[in-house]
Amino acid sequence: MKIAGAHTVPAAREWAFALLQDPVVLARCMPGCQALERTGDGEYHMKMKMVLASMSGLFDGRVKVADSCPPESFRLTVEGAGKIGFMKGEGVLTLAAVDGGTGVAFAGDVHVGGTLAAVGQRLIDTTSRMLIKRFFEKLGAEIAAGEAARAAPYPGDLY
Amino acid sequence: MIPQAFDYSSPRSLHEALVLLENGEHKVLAGGMSLVPMMKLRLATPGRVVDLSRVPDLNRIAESGGVVRIGAMATHHEIETSPVVRGQCPLLSEAASHIGDVQVRNMGTIGGSIAHADPAADYPAALVALEARVRLVSAHSDRTLDAADFFLDAFTTALAPGEIVLELEIPAEDSSEGYRYEKVAHPASGFAVVGVAVRIKKNGAAISMARIGVTGMGPRAFRDRAAEKLLEEGADIARATAAVGAGQEANADLYASADYRRHLAAVHAARALTVALSRAS
Amino acid sequence: MATDRYLAADAADLVEVDYEPLAAVADPEKALAAGAPAVHPQWPDNIAFTFHQEGGDTEGAFRDAEVVVRQRITSQRLIPTAMETRGVVAEWRAGERSLTLYSSTQIPHLLRTLLAGILGMPENHLRVITPEVGGGFGSKLNVYAEEALAAFVAMRINHPVKWIESRRENFQATIHGRGHVDYFELAAKRDGTMLGLKLKLIQDLGAYHQLLTPAIPTLSVLMMPGLYNFPNISADIVGVFTNCVPTDAYRGAGRPEATHGIERMVDILAAELQMDPAAIRLKNFVPANAFPYATATGLSYDSGNYAAPLKQALDAVEYPKLREEQKRARAAGRLMGIGISTYGEICAIGPSPATPAGGWESATVKIEPTGKVTVMTGASPHGQGEETTFAQIAADELGVDIDDVLVVHGDTAVVQYGIGTFGSRGTAIGGTALYYALQDLKAKVKKFGAMLLDTQKVTLAGGTCTDEVSGKSVSFAEIAGAAYRALKLPPDTEPGLVATRFWEPPNFTFPFGAHIVVSEVDRDTGAIEIRRYIAVDDCGKIINPLIVAGQVHGGVAQGLGQALWEQAVYDDSGQLLTGELTDYAVPKAHLMPWIESSHTETPSPVNPLGVKGVGEAGTIGCSPAVVNSVVDALAPLGVRHIDMPLTPEKIWNAIQQGGRA
Ligand SMILES: Cc1cc2nc3c(=O)[nH]c(=O)nc-3n(C[C@H](O)[C@H](O)[C@H](O)COP(=O)(O)OP(=O)(O)OC[C@H]3O[C@@H](n4cnc5c(N)ncnc54)[C@H](O)[C@@H]3O)c2cc1C
Repeated sequence: MKIAGAHTVPAAREWAFALLQDPVVLARCMPGCQALERTGDGEYHMKMKMVLASMSGLFDGRVKVADSCPPESFRLTVEGAGKIGFMKGEGVLTLAAVDGGTGVAFAGDVHVGGTLAAVGQRLIDTTSRMLIKRFFEKLGAEIAAGEAARAAPYPGDLY
Repeated sequence: MIPQAFDYSSPRSLHEALVLLENGEHKVLAGGMSLVPMMKLRLATPGRVVDLSRVPDLNRIAESGGVVRIGAMATHHEIETSPVVRGQCPLLSEAASHIGDVQVRNMGTIGGSIAHADPAADYPAALVALEARVRLVSAHSDRTLDAADFFLDAFTTALAPGEIVLELEIPAEDSSEGYRYEKVAHPASGFAVVGVAVRIKKNGAAISMARIGVTGMGPRAFRDRAAEKLLEEGADIARATAAVGAGQEANADLYASADYRRHLAAVHAARALTVALSRAS
Repeated sequence: MATDRYLAADAADLVEVDYEPLAAVADPEKALAAGAPAVHPQWPDNIAFTFHQEGGDTEGAFRDAEVVVRQRITSQRLIPTAMETRGVVAEWRAGERSLTLYSSTQIPHLLRTLLAGILGMPENHLRVITPEVGGGFGSKLNVYAEEALAAFVAMRINHPVKWIESRRENFQATIHGRGHVDYFELAAKRDGTMLGLKLKLIQDLGAYHQLLTPAIPTLSVLMMPGLYNFPNISADIVGVFTNCVPTDAYRGAGRPEATHGIERMVDILAAELQMDPAAIRLKNFVPANAFPYATATGLSYDSGNYAAPLKQALDAVEYPKLREEQKRARAAGRLMGIGISTYGEICAIGPSPATPAGGWESATVKIEPTGKVTVMTGASPHGQGEETTFAQIAADELGVDIDDVLVVHGDTAVVQYGIGTFGSRGTAIGGTALYYALQDLKAKVKKFGAMLLDTQKVTLAGGTCTDEVSGKSVSFAEIAGAAYRALKLPPDTEPGLVATRFWEPPNFTFPFGAHIVVSEVDRDTGAIEIRRYIAVDDCGKIINPLIVAGQVHGGVAQGLGQALWEQAVYDDSGQLLTGELTDYAVPKAHLMPWIESSHTETPSPVNPLGVKGVGEAGTIGCSPAVVNSVVDALAPLGVRHIDMPLTPEKIWNAIQQGGRA
């Protein structure tokens, strides 16, 4: 399934770019992320607990950041598998300065398989978009709360 | 198709239930029409299920002072057929009559439906159009929210861990009002591809009040205040509904694209308004 | 082995599978494209087989044609969705070294033969029992792995094993149906005379061959001329592997696809020539005096009067008046459609040379010493009601009360070998075997009756045997008792009253009919309303009208399912997206139109009962009538064809595009 959208991050572009690649930030903002461990260059192992209505499932997966062109764009891959199914989202995030911070546009594919996909068709589009939205909301909140500043070193000379 | 083993509690009082639910991992069981299928597919694997069916009076439906109170455990069938609901907020009865099939209406409850917050559920359209309020209680809290603030997103509500929906408070509809719930049902699931609930008050030929609630189209039910305003300012139905759903996110699935859902919302808003107008006096 | 289903599910949950996803292809046309992932590495082009069929001079017909219409027409992948999923219980009796297998199969005897090979055990130590089954529709016309596995495990652990398929498993492990992409070309003269037909048929086979997978599209090709009188046909089948569930026989099996194709093409031709769709059909039908009729595909149509059901259906809707109403509706901006489908089908499958494992059927009739009649049929009914039909045949022939007849089926230890239930064959072949067994017995009963009455000529009726001369009679039960006590025997006659017949049909039968659908499309939403559904079916002689009505209704429901709602959808990775009944829309009671069902009766000369078969007719006749009707409704907008299922959004898009054009 194709997925695309845009959200605004209340931070300047360079900072937003740094935050979006920061494992600590990612771990905090990815919905349900319980642990994120670096396994290689731009690669992380992730444990996630997805809770949605009465559904819940543990996912074990991988986050990968690639094709990094600071501060403009990078490719993000998030994949996970658990008993209730598996999912993979891959897309390119493009950052542009806008009023109030940085506009982050994304375009990519979400692929869901297993029980989730076989029985949850009418929900996949809605919920994928919701999870992405939650991620950006959380990121915004973290930035506002100054949490993010502590997580990521202030990229002084870039800013 | 077989759930995992789970513990089961069947509290006899609200207090007992709320204390049990202080453990945020426990799941409330109401009609089981949404929870049990998930458990059977093992998409939901609660360790303990707290069944509210034996808590007294949770399905009470009563009116006082122009407010209809509907207990969370009132079934869709009770709401569909209750003389109080039919008389005081018939829009909700009409919405209830469109839910699923007879079996589902006999088991499913309004509390379960709104707590589940399926984006394609029928009630939410009516509840936002009725400006209903939702009363939430936990072992140590009791608060009441506007329905519009209760539904946050797809399957996401303002319910905090340990909280349950206790009842709904619905301002009685004026007997001169016209109302209508129009639904496009998914041919497989029966859920609303789009559902539109409207209320209309007339002042002579003019519309003095309009409420439009839309479900199914987006991740949560919403009121289309722009269209309501246009109607109240004298626009005709076609013009007022042309842009219903504008600015709202729209869902897409195998059955209906986002654009088509938007279109359906506009068409059915117009149809619902036409019927509502004919019912208003 | 789990001791209950909960434990089994828990244990299965503990299995962690680490999948290495391979490239997949779920669409047959994409599977044919260069560079597509290979479903089986040993067949890199994904082509399982090709098949060419030709009759007459098709190239010549197209050269002489004054008009040629072409259309790509799909018959989407469907999930059979029998009410009851599959289920198996296997019981091994170590002492007897015998295995009893309960299975919801359509072919108990074939299953036993094939399982004997799979399990490496003597066939006569194996007993297959098929109790009452909640529908098969072809999906249980297979030998499935679970049947062998349950048997194997039961033997291993020396304990009965039970396996019941869940609905999700049913959707992903039981065969699917249809899955055609067809490219049709129809050549004709300007006056509407059809000259020749070309077809390129791409069959989505799924990932593996099941029992009849490759045979299904060949049935489509055989029936592609429909009811029309033209000798020139050329067809090419490409059987394509995809990473999907195998396709196989599903109610209609190849004939709905063929009928949908030809009936859509005839409508497209009629539109092209601005002819009335009823008139163009009447012009091209095989004439009633041309039977037996040899088709360009090598079949011999047994009997027919193709104009009769169409005329009956046209009368039922008051066709000229209806077209007038349509004119007025159109003038008022409404989208009203009238759709006709005239189908022909091939039933009573089939003569053994044309059927993979024998096409005959068997019947044993026992008149018990008390005069009660036991019928054992090798056909294995699945809820179609042959228990009633066969009891009726026996009661009529023997002149006994229908309540005295018991029909037994589906137990290989009790019933003589038989073939099974599929291809609308039960009554035409199984019923005929029964008929002949009854003739044998009738003669014997009369012999005993004549002996007891001490006369020559007797008649059998009303439970008694009567001397035509003296009027004296003896009851059926008395005769039966005498045949078994055998105090005295007629000349050259053995004791007992049992007869068995295996009947090999000399030909298929070819039922036909006409369905008309009156529809109205909601211009604003694309929603379709079926205003009227007329079905006139000719299935030969009708034995039990109520049972025939049940078959027509159920068949039409499944046809509507394909026309309007059902579609198995896979994503590009081969994930089935319609994996439950919340997404896969089967027909439901409240969605059904009223079906105005009637019949014409053209007996088949192939069997003495004159019956043809009706199990699949409703499904075959339905979908083109619906699509023709909806396309007719949209014709003023320039719409020429829409593929099934006709979802409202698809219709709405067609209206939008038409409106713009
Ligand atoms: C075949 C079928 C068709 C359906 N069609 C429709 C339809 O057309 N339209 C429609 O709107 N719905 C439809 N439904 C859903 C139905 O209305 C359910 O009844 C409803 O969504 C859930 O109510 P329930 O009482 O069954 O809740 P349950 O299934 O018992 O619970 C659902 C969720 O809500 C929680 N919960 C329940 N009660 C409370 C409470 N008082 N406070 C806090 N949390 C609570 C549970 O823990 C669970 O997470 C359908 C369901 C089925 C099975």
